[in-house]
Amino acid sequence: MLDFEVFTQQLITGLSNGMIIALIAIGYTMVYGIIELINFAHGDVFMLGAFLALTLLGALGMEAWGPSGQVFGVALMLIGSAVFCGGLNWSLDRLAYRSLRKSSKLSLLVSAIGCSFVCMNLGLFWGGAPMEVFSNGNSAAAPKHFPAIIPQINLLGDGFLRITPADLLVFTVTIPLMVGLTIMVKRTRLGRAMRAVAQDPTAASLMGIPVDRVIGATFFIGGALGGFASVIYSLYNNTIGFQMGTRAGLDAFTAAVLGGIGSLPGAVLGGLTIGCVRSMSDQYLETRWTNTIVFCILVLILIFRPNGLLGKTRKEKV
Amino acid sequence: MRWRPGPIFIILALAGLLPLLDIFLPPKLQMCEAVRGVFLYAILALGLNVVTGYAGMLNLGIAAFMAVGAYAFGILTCEIYPFQLGFWPALALTIPIGAIAGFILGAPTLGLRGDYLAIVTLGFGEIIQDVLKNLEVVTKGTQGINPLPAPNFGGGEWTANDEYKWYYLFFVLLVVTVIAARNLERSRLGRAWFSIREDEIASRSMGIRVERIKLIAFATAAAIAAFAGGLSASVLSSTGEPSNYDFQISILALCIVIVGGIGSIAGVLVGSLVMVGLNSIVLVKATAWMAANGIGSQGNVLLSPNNWKFLIFGLALILAVRLKPNGLIPPRIQRAKQ
Amino acid sequence: MSVLQAHGITVKFGGLIAVQDVHFTVKQGEIYAVIGPNGAGKTTLFNAVTGIYAPTEGHVEFNGHEIVEPLTRWVIFKFVCAFFAVGVFTVVGLNIETIWKAVIIDNYKFGQPFPWSVAATSWYSTIWSLPLVKNLLPLCVGGGIGVGAAAVSWSRGRSAPDHIARSGVARTFQNIRLFNELSLVQNVLVGMDYRMKTGFMSALFRLPMFYRERREFYESAVKLLEFIGLGDRAEQAAGSLPYGFRRRLEIARALAGKPTIILLDEPAAGMNPSEVVGLMALIRQVRESGITVVLIEHHMRLVMGVSDKILVLQYGRQIAEGTPAEIRVNPKIIEAYLGSEDHG
Repeated sequence: MLDFEVFTQQLITGLSNGMIIALIAIGYTMVYGIIELINFAHGDVFMLGAFLALTLLGALGMEAWGPSGQVFGVALMLIGSAVFCGGLNWSLDRLAYRSLRKSSKLSLLVSAIGCSFVCMNLGLFWGGAPMEVFSNGNSAAAPKHFPAIIPQINLLGDGFLRITPADLLVFTVTIPLMVGLTIMVKRTRLGRAMRAVAQDPTAASLMGIPVDRVIGATFFIGGALGGFASVIYSLYNNTIGFQMGTRAGLDAFTAAVLGGIGSLPGAVLGGLTIGCVRSMSDQYLETRWTNTIVFCILVLILIFRPNGLLGKTRKEKV
Repeated sequence: MRWRPGPIFIILALAGLLPLLDIFLPPKLQMCEAVRGVFLYAILALGLNVVTGYAGMLNLGIAAFMAVGAYAFGILTCEIYPFQLGFWPALALTIPIGAIAGFILGAPTLGLRGDYLAIVTLGFGEIIQDVLKNLEVVTKGTQGINPLPAPNFGGGEWTANDEYKWYYLFFVLLVVTVIAARNLERSRLGRAWFSIREDEIASRSMGIRVERIKLIAFATAAAIAAFAGGLSASVLSSTGEPSNYDFQISILALCIVIVGGIGSIAGVLVGSLVMVGLNSIVLVKATAWMAANGIGSQGNVLLSPNNWKFLIFGLALILAVRLKPNGLIPPRIQRAKQ
Repeated sequence: MSVLQAHGITVKFGGLIAVQDVHFTVKQGEIYAVIGPNGAGKTTLFNAVTGIYAPTEGHVEFNGHEIVEPLTRWVIFKFVCAFFAVGVFTVVGLNIETIWKAVIIDNYKFGQPFPWSVAATSWYSTIWSLPLVKNLLPLCVGGGIGVGAAAVSWSRGRSAPDHIARSGVARTFQNIRLFNELSLVQNVLVGMDYRMKTGFMSALFRLPMFYRERREFYESAVKLLEFIGLGDRAEQAAGSLPYGFRRRLEIARALAGKPTIILLDEPAAGMNPSEVVGLMALIRQVRESGITVVLIEHHMRLVMGVSDKILVLQYGRQIAEGTPAEIRVNPKIIEAYLGSEDHG
């Protein structure tokens, strides 16, 4: 019986982490779907979102707010980070990627790696901000504590199984976002334009679709999802650092590839898979081998399904 | 046709004559020791150039193979292990070991599309650090393996003071690597690599066995990187800890190739001078200078030049692809007969 | 004698049927043309023949047999190797700490000579003294994955374009796919690649064989360029060539492998009338050198002028086959191109 409870507990943790990974992975997969670029900077945009959330939290003194005030505070951080990350991602596209649309995919990718490094460095500088929450900037590179402003209580009473408000927050934010995104891509004009550009940018532009604006919007939406994810991540894990973007980005990108890059449900499936594999491996195998196991699973899946779990084969026109 | 020295020859000749310049410089400005690092990264980047420059496959985990080489060299030579080979046999063995490591990673994954491969190599680069750290029984974990032997030519083992000996050792090995890379580039194999980079479907339809050719490129790159790893372990007399071989090293190598000129050997040499010079000469010297003059307290993050490293690398990459998409010294059009 | 036979080729992309149930036979030394309106599935048919797309149904025979790599003993041997390589790798990888401890650490006393013979046997006994979950199970699971991966990659590659090209089927592309950054002669040399013998080592160490082969092939590549009239541009980059010459270079690249059959996809597209006349002469010359030619073309004068037999496709189906004279008067073809009276 206890075994079952341990398993369920790990499943809950895994699913929660998986949802966060999935939210970041969607940002990768959307951008990849539309311009075939692995947006390396995405993980670091996510990291900067977390820093903004921590700054907001510190500057407004949210820790001292009452329970209802903190609900408002969380909402404020979510919106602030989402707008900030979306805007940042959009500007990266505008400044670093747009002029490279016509050049090779490799140079686009290299440019994205460059952006990732620039953002990472900005995060390092940000960590040195003279604020209480950043330990007055005394150790810029050190991981920062993110105050747990959500109460750490067990919603299930005294049982062994724990579901915290943080778990609940993860699901109440991510699921509506994913549903909304799916509807947007399927139903709205922008969604239709995005799918058209993804299929054939030239044809789409000939049909009067403002391709650059649609791509910009995709970057904005992807970034905004990363912003939401960053706040949830910080509230859930309570530690942020300027290098967390690389780790989270790698996980999220692995998730996107695992599920089949370019596919929204694939990204979610991949994220959940990786979240669960991680937590199960932490529990039943050794934590120090978890990354290795995730990697081996990625390679294994790609051997047998080179386009990921839900990915479609793209036939190159010959 | 009269022979004219190409850019590669000029660069190497200048590098070979550099110690002469050092004689006339005050000790503070001597640069042989720092330039050794440039040579080491040039070897690593020449390896990366084979896979990314020639065959057009992005490899983001080249540092992993460097780690494999360094640890192989460490295990084969260090006296806490029974093998205890000398410097030369161990350094020679890093090459096939690196190639095998490249083969093991490459064989299952080379059928993947370019970006998928990039992510697999990136993941591999992260994993190898974990593996080396976790296999404490074998690799001594984060301590690293030391001490490691240096070469000797009859007259006793070299020490860190034999600066010029080390310099010329690195120089000669760099020249050997350049010749090897050039020989491969101007052969049937190099042509097949270029054709795959240009158009995979067309080269397949011409009967090029794409998977096999890619695998050779991958394993060659891994072998050269492992060779560089063994060399660096020897000069440091330690493998260092696994996290010394992290993503930053891979990116530094990638920067060298992209900034210098993708697919061009001379470009790689110049690129490593620029990037490594910036990374381990200018930044380090600037930090030392600022510390000596009392600028740059612990408190202010902006005042330590080392903290600007990522920003500089990032901007270098962005600007390089924007302003000089073909690099500082772009490759000449391949000619069948030189 | 037939060199190329297509049996009921069908290619579907999702719900779209691009080519449906096409049969044809090309005889040795023929010039065989495939015509049809745009979107009739001609290029898709070529892609199915050369292995770029796997046909959904049907198969292609060259010289009376299908080009798929047969399941030889050598392939099975490779599978067995894959089984043991991956299996042993898995076992060693999972137990590396135990093995290392038993073999190296327990046997090696610092500063003393290492008992190699003891170590050589102790790794074996160590592995077999492990519980089954740690040796036999990983061996089977890992080995199974190894065989699976090898089998998957083998079955993917057995009728791949490179395999078909190496059996003497060369082609050109509708949207010219030259290696633009390589010189003309290098483009041709890529086409010759599979006839070359030297390998990695002779290239690395510049063995005498390497120089001999390079000289031989370089000379024949230049000769081939002269044959198509581009000899004086041998060292130029292919990307700098004018359009008409590019098509010729693609043909030269395809001929470089000494194929038995060559498939030309719209060789005359974008050519001016005098270039077309030159192309017709070139195609005839190719045929005279003993190579069978299959071509897709819209340029009717060229098709009617050179081909021995014509296949007409419409909406993915074959609607007629015959000599130029038969095709010229076939009412179905006139309908396909000009539309029938009923539909206006």
